[in-house]
Amino acid sequence: MNPLIPIMVILPITCALLLNLLHNKDKTVKILALIAGVALPLIPLLANYGMHYFGGYAPLIDNPTLAQGLPSTITNSSLYLFHPAITYSFASAQQLFIFVLGMVAFLAIFTSLNETKRASGVYTFLMFMGTAAVTAIVLADDIFNLYVFFEIAALTQVGIIICSKVENNYETALKYMILGSIAAPMLLLGIALLLGVTGNVNITDIIFAINHGMVDPQSPVLLLACGLILFGWLYGSGLPPFHTIKSAVYSKALPHGAALLQAFSVFTFAALGVIIIRIFAYLPFTETVVIFFSLAAMILGITMALMQTDFKRIIGFLAVGELGYIGLGLGMGTALGITAGLFQAVNEAIITAFLFIGFGTVLYKTGISDTNKLGGMLVENPKVAILVLLAGLAMAGVPPFNAFQSKLQLIQASINAGLPELGIIMVLLSIVTFLTFVKAYYTIYLKPKPQDLQIINEKIPRATIITMMVFLVICLVLGLFPQLATDSLQQLAVGLV
Amino acid sequence: MIIDTQLASFFTAAALIVLGIYGAVFMDNLIKKVIGLAFIGDGVNLFIITLGYKPGGIVYIYLPELAEMGKAFFTQNAAYPLPFALVLTSIVIGASTMAVMLGIIIVLYKKHGTISAAKVLDE
Repeated sequence: MNPLIPIMVILPITCALLLNLLHNKDKTVKILALIAGVALPLIPLLANYGMHYFGGYAPLIDNPTLAQGLPSTITNSSLYLFHPAITYSFASAQQLFIFVLGMVAFLAIFTSLNETKRASGVYTFLMFMGTAAVTAIVLADDIFNLYVFFEIAALTQVGIIICSKVENNYETALKYMILGSIAAPMLLLGIALLLGVTGNVNITDIIFAINHGMVDPQSPVLLLACGLILFGWLYGSGLPPFHTIKSAVYSKALPHGAALLQAFSVFTFAALGVIIIRIFAYLPFTETVVIFFSLAAMILGITMALMQTDFKRIIGFLAVGELGYIGLGLGMGTALGITAGLFQAVNEAIITAFLFIGFGTVLYKTGISDTNKLGGMLVENPKVAILVLLAGLAMAGVPPFNAFQSKLQLIQASINAGLPELGIIMVLLSIVTFLTFVKAYYTIYLKPKPQDLQIINEKIPRATIITMMVFLVICLVLGLFPQLATDSLQQLAVGLV
Repeated sequence: MIIDTQLASFFTAAALIVLGIYGAVFMDNLIKKVIGLAFIGDGVNLFIITLGYKPGGIVYIYLPELAEMGKAFFTQNAAYPLPFALVLTSIVIGASTMAVMLGIIIVLYKKHGTISAAKVLDE
């Protein structure tokens, strides 16, 4: 067993609790948050691949000492193979996801600590807690454990909105919680139905039970469970009908908070999507439903982004639209499609964070996010304007950035899967994404500066520019060497197929 | 006709969930909405507990008094413990979520002077 696997979750939780206790001790909060933040992306790089069994309770087949003396009803049955404890599974795909999540979390925390005069222990606590929760969602091979961290992630998202002190943030937080308090029990009910049918909450064991005829795969209870888990997935990731509230959540957070929140949504979407495909791929409608909701997210997200005037809402809706690309990859059900979809997840988490922090500099300078009241920011800050332009080009899938590679692979996968129409839709929506970005960019940076626009902060913190440069480098590296990511994801994709 | 305990429990869980969804969707009072949401969570919890119910079953803790009856007796008659462990966690999560929601409602009441969802959330 590799002790670094649970440390990926335990470290941010411990750090979060300490930061909460140290609230008001600004210097200590900053130092502790930065040290722990640096560790977030480093630990997955140092950890060995493998499984972690909490309490040391490996399956009996791997634990002959424990198996000795047990009745034959256990040793001669599938109970011998089942996982008796909560299990974390760590392989190359999880490593990449947790590394990217850790990078985004570190850079968001780094930016927030430098942009605010007084470091908030509570706000940083929530950022770490959310990161821990989403890391656990990525690692969990136990669907109930996943549900627990799903709820913790939702609560931390609400906390981040409340701490942001943006106008009407409490109203948005309550709406999100009300919807979540319907969707999360539905997810739990789906898990309960799986437990009722298979007697298990371990994902590998559930799949074993279904594949080995221990339960009827066509059982209506399993179909209902699939529907309920899909419903929870839609809420957790912000796919329609939850796209409006999700983009509102992003818009009520500060830019660094929104950068992290969207990364939470992306990795929750990818992790839960992979689980749905793992368990229910044998059902004929699963992949169709995933494609349907992904297309709906793309069309609604991107077209609604086009109609917004608040740049935080614009990026929020674009983020929802980009999620659809990931879903399309998963829904194609081919190794190339799933690899491309997961690669798109990695890229989206980075690019959207880049955009939130980039456009966030405008909010920092002017305190305004309404594009109608902005203009002339290119003159104010040409360096940042160029970085934001590059982020926008990356999101639209322009070479040599990373999203170009993942979107190209998605289009290739759609042709290979016999669904070229999906490829056409992806190309068209990428063009609309680009137009949406150009419109926002023009109104903020190129349009003449309104006379009544006041600059409240002259200088952008150096930390924010460094953060953007780091994101740009990652986008370029993954764009020029996509195999760095796709090699890690391919193993998981092939396993799913 | 006496209904089977497990079946009755499943029906109660379903009724709680349906009532909860009704309350959460159609009630205008935010506190009533939260009560409806609590009903949904309780219904799901009751459903999970019912999964672990075993007619005539014994408590799944291997007490010393059970040793004389043998392990085989225990394994055949003990209730399934996993659902109960899961529900315990689920109750804690539900309580935390409800506490946060009620806290937000207090803030919104101070701001708007009302707990009408139509007035508070649609602005």
